[in-house]
Amino acid sequence: MGRITLDQVTKSFGEVNVIPPLDLTIEDGEFVVFVGPSGCGKSTLLRLIAGLEDVSSGQIRIDGEDATDKRPADRGLAMVFQSYALYPHMSVRKNIAFPMKMAGVPEDEQKRRIDGAAAALNLTDYLDRRPGQLSGGQRQRVAIGRAIVREPQAFLFDEPLSNLDAALRVGMRLEISELHKRLATTMIYVTHDQVEAMTMADKIVVLRAGYIEQVGTPLELYRTPRNRFVAGFIGSPRMNFIEGETAAAKGAFAVGVRPEHIAASTESGTWQGKVGVAEHLGSDTFLHVHDTGLADVLTVRVDGELPVRHGDRIFLTPEEDKIHRFDAEGHRL
Amino acid sequence: MATQHSRAAARLMISPAVLLLLGWMLIPLAMTIYFSFLRYNLLMPGMEEFTGWTNYRFFLTDPAFKAALINTLLLVGGVLLITSVGGVLLALLLDQPFWGQGVVRIMVIAPFFVMPTVSALVWKNMFMNPVNGLFGHFAQSLGLAPFDFLSQAPLASIIGIVSWQWLPFATLILLTALQSLDQEQLEAAEMDGAGPLSRFFYIMLPHLARAITVVILIQTIFLLSIFAEIFVTTSGGPGTASTNLTFLIFLETPAALRRGHGLGRGRGRDHPGQHRRDLPDADDRQEPGRVRMTRGAANRPQIRSARADRTGAPPAAAHASGGRIWRKMKVGEE
Repeated sequence: MGRITLDQVTKSFGEVNVIPPLDLTIEDGEFVVFVGPSGCGKSTLLRLIAGLEDVSSGQIRIDGEDATDKRPADRGLAMVFQSYALYPHMSVRKNIAFPMKMAGVPEDEQKRRIDGAAAALNLTDYLDRRPGQLSGGQRQRVAIGRAIVREPQAFLFDEPLSNLDAALRVGMRLEISELHKRLATTMIYVTHDQVEAMTMADKIVVLRAGYIEQVGTPLELYRTPRNRFVAGFIGSPRMNFIEGETAAAKGAFAVGVRPEHIAASTESGTWQGKVGVAEHLGSDTFLHVHDTGLADVLTVRVDGELPVRHGDRIFLTPEEDKIHRFDAEGHRL
Repeated sequence: MATQHSRAAARLMISPAVLLLLGWMLIPLAMTIYFSFLRYNLLMPGMEEFTGWTNYRFFLTDPAFKAALINTLLLVGGVLLITSVGGVLLALLLDQPFWGQGVVRIMVIAPFFVMPTVSALVWKNMFMNPVNGLFGHFAQSLGLAPFDFLSQAPLASIIGIVSWQWLPFATLILLTALQSLDQEQLEAAEMDGAGPLSRFFYIMLPHLARAITVVILIQTIFLLSIFAEIFVTTSGGPGTASTNLTFLIFLETPAALRRGHGLGRGRGRDHPGQHRRDLPDADDRQEPGRVRMTRGAANRPQIRSARADRTGAPPAAAHASGGRIWRKMKVGEE
């Protein structure tokens, strides 16, 4: 009951082609994350599914039914906006009741659903407040509550956590994941933050300039990125890319090694360089190593206790079986 | 940091402004109240005497007072209703994307820059005049008898003219408010199943509430003192049909020579009708029988009033009782 299929969907604004022909299937109950740098068309894609933008050509099917020309309200989807888009002159209760009021749901049923959503989202004490009197996280929960009571076939989230501070973001991330486990409803989530994508998604769709670069589970994308773009985008800190002789020796135009797949030592190793900035996180330390002759800078994840300082000489050894090889066009070999 | 020293300095700094405000506003206000309790006649300086509430009693018991009060309320209420409803509708229209939007927006603001006197004269002579006016021509082309707006429906006509002047103001403020509405709210409402009407009443109108309040407050201040539009069109008539409080005060003070009148004193021996007949524009109020006046005749009163202005005599004073007083003054000076 929440299977969404995009069939050769395109979108252009005047001359500018934002989404080239695109096919994608989102299975019922999946948590799908659209991720990509800003301007890659991920929000546009979400708005096309929501019906807030008209497709230029192609077809959108929800549950096998053609929804391309349906009005947003008739598609059975609920959306949570980046700015929350709460109605400022209505109380929390009225905000949550609004979609039901528009749909003509009976009063007692409205009340039952509001109470249910409020209990699930810890909003019971705030039902009579205005959105202006709530904190960012509470507003976010009201927006989610407004989406839940519609009992939609799928939820659409448009960068919902980008206005929250770091601590709250982690908390809300968990809450949304938990909500998905409980409701088992299809969710489509747009973000530019690859950490959110990795932690929440069943399936990640990596987009660049409207094109789907790769679709897969978080670990598939991490282990076998299809090209250099995906390899660089997924994983934190970024993968190191080395071109030139070292890559040619392995029969590739470029090789990529993740920072966590390089062993560091003060005595011996394959490569050597000078320690630049060291970012101490406690559990780990990220070293930025210069003057290796391989790339401008290599990032290495080492144990938090490794005693190195700025300017020290350091030896690096990559794990051979974790090296990714790419050709000149950036495709995986 | 608000130390005692800085607070004292702040008081010192703002004191010139406060003193200026006192001088400019409080003293005239106090003097106005003081004079309103005097029998004060500019023709007999030094003869002022305290009369208690007499000036107020005279003004409030004036038979024209009740009519003027009702007219004022109708005028203000009517214009507010037309401009706020019309302003919201126009703002919604101008908010739509269409070709030439920028130019149209500027043109919509234009009526606000026309002087009230000028716009009222344009409406009176070019639109509402049953002989020369566009509306008259239009009615005749349809085979109907021209409607003499200013004598058949004087107050409604003035409400129309004033609304035309103030509609751009309301539109401008409301359009700005409408453009500040978060588009995501409208999209959210659309997703929530709200149609265009529901979106207007549940989302846009509450958002506009504050702007509408501002429009109503500012307009009320200016609409209570509408004068020029009445002066150049109907002169408050026929009878008291289009006399508002501001205009009644003007009628009660022939040439403002006897200051006490304007400050609340009754009209004494003079009858308002008498003044009104003396007004420069009185001839121009077209009774049904006089519709077919020649163009020259229709314009003459204005020419006369203009001449009266040039000679330095206030128009109302140039005739009858006011005129007599004025002439006496002149003689006295010589």
